[in-house]
Amino acid sequence: MSLRSFAGRNLHQLHSWFGAIFRRDELEERMDTELACHLEILTSDLIQSGLTPEEAARRARIALGPMLNHKEEMRASLGLLAWDQLWGDVRYALRVLRKNPGFTAIAATSLALAIGANTTIFSVARQVLYQRLAVPSPSSLRLLAWTGTSEHVAVHHVHGDYNLLPGGLVTSTVFSYPVYQQLRAQNRVLGDLIAFRETGMNAIIGEHAERVLAEMVSANYYRELGVQPELGRSIGATDDTVASRPVAVISDAFWDREFGRSLAILGQSIKLNNTPVIIVGVNPRGFTGAKSTIPTETPDVTVPLALQPVLSPSNDGSSWLTDPAPWWVNILGRLRNGGNDATAQAALAAQLNAAVRATMPLRKGEVIPRLVIRDGSRGLFEQEQIFAKPLSVLSLLVGMVLLLACANIANLMLARAAQREHEMSVRIALGAGRRRILRQMLLESLVLAFIGGSIGLAIGYFGRLAFPELTEAAWQRSKLPVQFDWPVFAFTVLITLFTGIVFGIAPALAAVRVEVNEGLKEGARTVSHRRKGMGGRALVGLQIVLSTVLVVGGGLFIRTLARLDEINPGFNTHDLLITQLALPQSRYPAGTDIALHRRLEQAIAAIPGVKSVAPAMESYLSDDLSDTDFLAQGEPYDPSNNDIEPYNVVGVNFFQTLGIPIIAGRSFGPEDTATSPRVAIINQRLVKTRFPGQNALGKTFTIGGHNRDGHESTLTKDAIQIVGICDDTLYSNLREQPPPQFFVPYVQQAQIGGMTYEIRIRVKPEAVLPSLRRTVQVINPDIPLINLRTQDEQIEADLQQERLFVTLTSGFGLLALILASVGIYGLMAYSVAQRTNEFGIRLALGAAPRRLMTIVLRESAWISVAGIAVGLATAFLLARFLKSTLYGIAPYDPLTLLSATTLLLGVALGASWIPALRAAKMDPMQALRSE
Amino acid sequence: MAQGKQEKQIDLLQGTLDLLILKAVSLGPLHGYGVLLRIQQLSGEELVIQQGSLYPALYRLEHQGAIASEWGESENNRRAKYYKLTRAGRERLAGETQKWNRMAGIIGSILRASPEGV
Repeated sequence: MSLRSFAGRNLHQLHSWFGAIFRRDELEERMDTELACHLEILTSDLIQSGLTPEEAARRARIALGPMLNHKEEMRASLGLLAWDQLWGDVRYALRVLRKNPGFTAIAATSLALAIGANTTIFSVARQVLYQRLAVPSPSSLRLLAWTGTSEHVAVHHVHGDYNLLPGGLVTSTVFSYPVYQQLRAQNRVLGDLIAFRETGMNAIIGEHAERVLAEMVSANYYRELGVQPELGRSIGATDDTVASRPVAVISDAFWDREFGRSLAILGQSIKLNNTPVIIVGVNPRGFTGAKSTIPTETPDVTVPLALQPVLSPSNDGSSWLTDPAPWWVNILGRLRNGGNDATAQAALAAQLNAAVRATMPLRKGEVIPRLVIRDGSRGLFEQEQIFAKPLSVLSLLVGMVLLLACANIANLMLARAAQREHEMSVRIALGAGRRRILRQMLLESLVLAFIGGSIGLAIGYFGRLAFPELTEAAWQRSKLPVQFDWPVFAFTVLITLFTGIVFGIAPALAAVRVEVNEGLKEGARTVSHRRKGMGGRALVGLQIVLSTVLVVGGGLFIRTLARLDEINPGFNTHDLLITQLALPQSRYPAGTDIALHRRLEQAIAAIPGVKSVAPAMESYLSDDLSDTDFLAQGEPYDPSNNDIEPYNVVGVNFFQTLGIPIIAGRSFGPEDTATSPRVAIINQRLVKTRFPGQNALGKTFTIGGHNRDGHESTLTKDAIQIVGICDDTLYSNLREQPPPQFFVPYVQQAQIGGMTYEIRIRVKPEAVLPSLRRTVQVINPDIPLINLRTQDEQIEADLQQERLFVTLTSGFGLLALILASVGIYGLMAYSVAQRTNEFGIRLALGAAPRRLMTIVLRESAWISVAGIAVGLATAFLLARFLKSTLYGIAPYDPLTLLSATTLLLGVALGASWIPALRAAKMDPMQALRSE
Repeated sequence: MAQGKQEKQIDLLQGTLDLLILKAVSLGPLHGYGVLLRIQQLSGEELVIQQGSLYPALYRLEHQGAIASEWGESENNRRAKYYKLTRAGRERLAGETQKWNRMAGIIGSILRASPEGV
């Protein structure tokens, strides 16, 4: 037979098989019609041959033979026999599951929740932590970074990431532009180095203003990354000069959002920080820039680095492209084929050393930063610091939930198998095939896994949509879209199926291997049951271990959140509206920005419903903090001293608006103007740290101006007099202690740029918002309200991760408790049923019912205590890993451990109470008669 | 009488029913009962076919694609399923006929052998 006809025949059979299965009713009806037709013609033939109709019909039926058998054989001809058996087994399995609705519901629900939660959390983890940049061969990308000792490193102005390492070291990924140029010129070990920098800008598109994320890139950015715009052209060498016409490539999302994917967009102009730039291209969808792999961090616009002096000039107007002091650009390069990281790092380190020496003055005692090469396939990969730990903790916990659900199924299967041993023996004795029995038991666990898996799929699918809602602040425009991760789902389901098969098949094998005679003899049952009892006990023990870990985990996060909720930030957070107003510096040079803020402050204060308003350089509890050199009057300047203090530049009504008490001296007031003497208010902690045992009121200090390399901040060098002392408040986030702080009024600064407005309101925020927007728009239509939110919303957002943790871990813990109690109940109920005879004898011999209860409770207590002990030890080991995610409590928080132990013991004893009671209420006569 | 007939009829050789069905329907579309009648008629009423084994064989052949079916009306105006040979069935019939003839020849020549011939 040729291959083709063989294939054709198989295909035909497959088609016919499916046709038979999916049109089964039709098939049955046809078989009936056909046989009936046969019978009728045969009968009429026989009548014609002279028989009476009755006799003819009888003969015809005999001649045709038993219809049921024929039909069965006809079905077999179509290959439906195996299918029918399988379907029968599935129906039988469903019937068995339906007969135990409690067990089925708990097993299926726990599986569904475990599969759904695992799929969601692993999908998020994979996307956040393993996604690479959407460029060709991202694995060859290397990110340049440097390390140095924080005290002595020659770099003083880091505008970018700055992370402390153990041993007084710091590390960062930003470089000065002159250093980049030198490295790029000398580099032979990596491919052409690209530079990029992400920053926020005010964009004006047509009529409306909005804040956009911009990436400034070197001319070789697109070429080296290998990215092609989906429309128009990319940024090339001709765009990256100061003389070039300003151009921009926009993101796909921005194109969609602002221009409705209009093809006429090329050549159109938008304003970035008030500078018109021409749109020349659209980045491909899915390209998230070089900095981040997170879709929500995709830069809206990409512009040449040459535009930096025009688009985001420094305060003193100097160009950062020529200034060696600020370190601000990120550098990526591709490792060449056959290249080696160590060689590349050594070569580049020598070149960085030379570049620093060539571009900046080195003081005595200063050290040159040491270059290190990092993996650049995920850009700066900033999310690692924020998410790696929480996500691995969650993954671990959710993995335990899956294990627990699997243990539950296994337990269910073991108990079921033990219950049905007698039934199995009977079936085997009656001639049922062992394979058939095996298959049927396996099917039961698979059906269960299938039900759990389907619901789990739905939970995972929708969980992924809910996750971003739970993790991102309510006022943020775009949420992280979590892709549904089929491989993760498949993996989770496979684990479940594997458990179902292993634990379904083990008791099934044991059941079919049982000698029929022994299985039917009651005496032998006790032996085999005791053996299975061990497996059940081990599983229940494991469930208690896992539950203990999950309950302790949930408890620790509940306590953490409670501690964080208790925190008093030091100011009144209610009815406080916050919004950032960023000014394009090119439009508001020094001085005019102060005047603008004064106008804005007055106009906003006049809005009905607004009680008072104060702009501030930094808003509190938003993870921002500014600090600067602080030199008290009379202190000598010592460059080796770390005399930096946090500060804020504020409006005169700041303390009144936020409700921060002034403890001594006065608050700022209308008497503090640009021309009046420089004044400041400091908090108590600053008094303690910098003016110990003194009366700080009336003292003076200087700030800025004495930086080691002569580059000063925008603050004044003049002496500032302390006129008031205020209470301590938190600054950047809830988890830190209130830092020392000083406050200066913005009206006394030379330049301030954008500020965050703190608006105390009498009415609901919605009542103020329209007039607030209108007021700002009247003064300048090009200023967008950025991150408009209430202080309470801000705090809520700060605690979002903790709340998510509490929700998830306490959910896991609750599920674990339910599963463990089901496990214990099942085990003890079974044990009591097994020992009915024994208990009967004990009762007959005069044992008190209480005594029987004690026996049962003691058995469950032993298992529970052992499980809890192992669980506490495990939790203790794991909790150390949690330390950085906790607040205000130790990882071995005694209250949590004690409550968890009590709770678990209570649940364990509670679950075994009913079986124990059953043992105590036994009627000795019936018990003795029972098999 | 059916009883009397059976004594002089031969039971079907194992595995030949399929071949006979294919041959029967190759002469024109037939319903199940018709197949039965035609085989009996062609055999000169010498062969008896177990009526029950006919339908599983028909279903098997249809499943394998050797014959195809169509609903039509029987001689007594009932809905009846008519079977006809497909192209694949025709090829199979030709192949099996050839095989059968070869086999019959070989068996025949073996059975004809006489002591002198050996």
